[in-house]
Amino acid sequence: MDSLGLDDSDEPRDVELSSLSAIYPEIQQVHPDDRYTIVLDIPVTPSKAVVVSFPATQEASADPEQRLPHVNGNGNAAQNGGTVVDQQELAHLPPVHLEIAFGHDYPAEKPPKIAISTTPPWLPAETIKKLEDDGPRLWEEMGRDIVGFTYIDHVQQAAEDVFGLVDKTGALEVDPQHKIAILDYDIQARRAAFERETFDCGVCLDPKKGSACHKMMDCGHVFCIDCLQDCYNKAIQEGDLAAVRCLEPNCAKAREKSAARLPGEKKKKVRTRISPSELLQIPLDQEVVKRYVTLRYKTELESDKNTIYCPRPWCNGAARSKKHKKPQGLELGEASDDSGDENDQDGENGSKKKPYSGAELLAICEECSFAFCSRCLQSWHGEFFRCTPRRDKEELTAEEQASLEYMKLHTTPCPTCAAPAQKTHGCNHMICQRCQSHFCYLCSAWLDPGNPYQHFNEMPNGRVTGCYMRLWELENGDGDDVGLGFAGGVGGGPGGDDRAAVDVPDLPEVGADEPADDVIIWRENPGPDGLPFEPVEAFNGPEEENVAPVVIDREGPLVLRIGGQEENRIITILEEEDGEEGGDSSNSMRSKLVDVGPLSSAEVAPAPPNGAEEDEEEPLAQQQPPGGAQQQRRNNINNNNQNQNQNNREGDGLQGGDAWPVADDDPEAEGVLILNAEQAAWVRQFVQLALDDEEPEDDDQDDDDDAQR
Amino acid sequence: MASQKRIAKELSECMANPPAGMRVSLANDADVHKWHIVLEGPPNTPYVGGTFGLVIVLPPEYPFKAPVVTFATRIYHPNVTNDTPGKICLGLLKTENWKPSFKIQTVLQAVRGLLVEPQPDDPLEARIADEFRSDRKEFEKNARQYVTQYAKGPVKFDKKLTSTAGDAAATPGASSS
Repeated sequence: MDSLGLDDSDEPRDVELSSLSAIYPEIQQVHPDDRYTIVLDIPVTPSKAVVVSFPATQEASADPEQRLPHVNGNGNAAQNGGTVVDQQELAHLPPVHLEIAFGHDYPAEKPPKIAISTTPPWLPAETIKKLEDDGPRLWEEMGRDIVGFTYIDHVQQAAEDVFGLVDKTGALEVDPQHKIAILDYDIQARRAAFERETFDCGVCLDPKKGSACHKMMDCGHVFCIDCLQDCYNKAIQEGDLAAVRCLEPNCAKAREKSAARLPGEKKKKVRTRISPSELLQIPLDQEVVKRYVTLRYKTELESDKNTIYCPRPWCNGAARSKKHKKPQGLELGEASDDSGDENDQDGENGSKKKPYSGAELLAICEECSFAFCSRCLQSWHGEFFRCTPRRDKEELTAEEQASLEYMKLHTTPCPTCAAPAQKTHGCNHMICQRCQSHFCYLCSAWLDPGNPYQHFNEMPNGRVTGCYMRLWELENGDGDDVGLGFAGGVGGGPGGDDRAAVDVPDLPEVGADEPADDVIIWRENPGPDGLPFEPVEAFNGPEEENVAPVVIDREGPLVLRIGGQEENRIITILEEEDGEEGGDSSNSMRSKLVDVGPLSSAEVAPAPPNGAEEDEEEPLAQQQPPGGAQQQRRNNINNNNQNQNQNNREGDGLQGGDAWPVADDDPEAEGVLILNAEQAAWVRQFVQLALDDEEPEDDDQDDDDDAQR
Repeated sequence: MASQKRIAKELSECMANPPAGMRVSLANDADVHKWHIVLEGPPNTPYVGGTFGLVIVLPPEYPFKAPVVTFATRIYHPNVTNDTPGKICLGLLKTENWKPSFKIQTVLQAVRGLLVEPQPDDPLEARIADEFRSDRKEFEKNARQYVTQYAKGPVKFDKKLTSTAGDAAATPGASSS
């Protein structure tokens, strides 16, 4: 009111302006020195969203699918077949700008002067003219009296049905040249409305103002920015790209269902991944989004078996390919979105064309632009040179060899994309993080996502697989470092002792009296070099009635399951180092016997070879690293061509030889922990067979650890 | 921090308005990451009359990582391992299915739903699942016997069995359920 500089004069115009500005506080003066000319924006927010159509122009048809997040998503442009009509459903139209001048002979002599405009000028001239004429008309109807409020109210009401411009089908036609501005205004208005609202964030469960929230572009669910940042930053940091999706339960499923109802079966998969641009909008740090984009590109390359990598050791970039475009800045290449069918077909074609002819061998690195031959991996030699594929094995460094070996031992490839998976804990039903295939960790079989556990159970036809009842084998994970990498792993799975140290003192007692459900023998795989395998045959043979059902399975670590004994327990063969006759140390065979408590597999303890030497328990228990139990178990199923690097690692983990209460100079005397007379018999036989291949221990540092066990 | 706040919120909600047939408490007042739930065997099931202890361990990353739920009381059920602690393979709790907007209440209801309606097609104990399918009477008899044997009287939460800390660093390469 003050801004209008009104005083208490009796002038009817002043009285009117004072009440008007009380009703419409947003009223402003055009000029400070002319207080009788006021301006006011009347918002045009139809009670029901209006379909605004922009009749064909080249610009409109060129960009029919323009994605506008806050437009209700009904951009059904191209759907109308041939007719190029671009339609958008809008809830907000640019406001009507009202300028009213109350002349000095108002209200007695003359009506107020009214000028109406919109920015952009989307309102047709006739409508403007009609609205402007309504002023004097109303003034007449009022009996030439003050008409300000009546008129403004009239315009407001007219705005509710967009001044009668909406036809019966609820559509409004607007000159396409104003399209961008009108859509822009709608977005801004919706955002403003959104920010005023309050939402309950489903993650932190707190009510949050819209301004602190983000609405997911694809599904419209709302979460608070803090939670989204927390979740996505963590997921991207860990490389868990699948977690970068809407956090609403069943969001993708619900959308899949509704999408399935629509015709056109091709688009079966709904987009669940979040685009980098949306992540930036949330906002996530540019660095994080960059990592996300890079990881997605990398995953895509890696899941394509045909990807060729740059042979330059310092580069290792991927060769340029039509299928996978390198992301430009923070945008993913377009090809990445329509993966699936196309890629598969390409793959087939690719394999048919082998052997490549001439120019197809040329590969150019995305990163360093090195041109090389994809067959011999030398710099490009022209298409007429006949080259031979480089032999990989010779090129591997010891380190690479070591990690390959480790992967061979402790990972299972996904049956679909061959990505190696290493289990850290849990059951043997795996889901590939790269391609989401379900598979069995033991045998790498593809599992039906609808009923993955069937594989571990009886089939409908009554048959069973080799993995029958083995869902929980290797529950504590697979690998040397099992248990070190995640919180739950320390001390083994549920039921394990929290102390990482292993309870050696319990061994004899445990061995004496507690019954258990079954016995598992972990034994080494003979490995590619084909070490003899008599021990297994040995107790497959005459001892069979004692060791009832024996199941031998898996190409990797061999696992025997023996049930039905009176005093059953988990036994592994004591680790010992015994090189093959004349073989090198990497071919040495290692085995060990470990007695384990009946229930908690976490308490697997390396048994002191010379019976239970109770004096030595304490140092052992203390020096065992966290996760030692699992590590120990892991060792039991290690392949015998384990390399030296790994031995070193184990040694480090166990802090050298002092931990093991076994005389260094007496590897031959390695005894077994005798559980009872019955078992002792076959264990002896078993060990003897293993010892047959043995040769005296050398004093090589690498072997010490093993020798001491 | 955010995690503590949310857990506190869920806890007070669950305590004030516990899911049907359940009592919720903390294993230890200083630690909101471990809950003890006493679950009454739902009516019209062989489990009626029994009280079952459930332990929920919330990982430090909760709610971004799924809670770990185990039965502290032995139970004869196709979807719970027949030992202590009884592991549950519940779809909702698998890494790839978990969403931060699931609540513990949702999880508890799902567990109770499993008692009302076992899922023999997705079993952890195949033998019990077979029995459930082919010889329902025998199954119910066994389940009732387990209730008499293990699920009568106050629930015992064995400290040792329930002390395994939260779970689940992301598995490199793949997730297991």
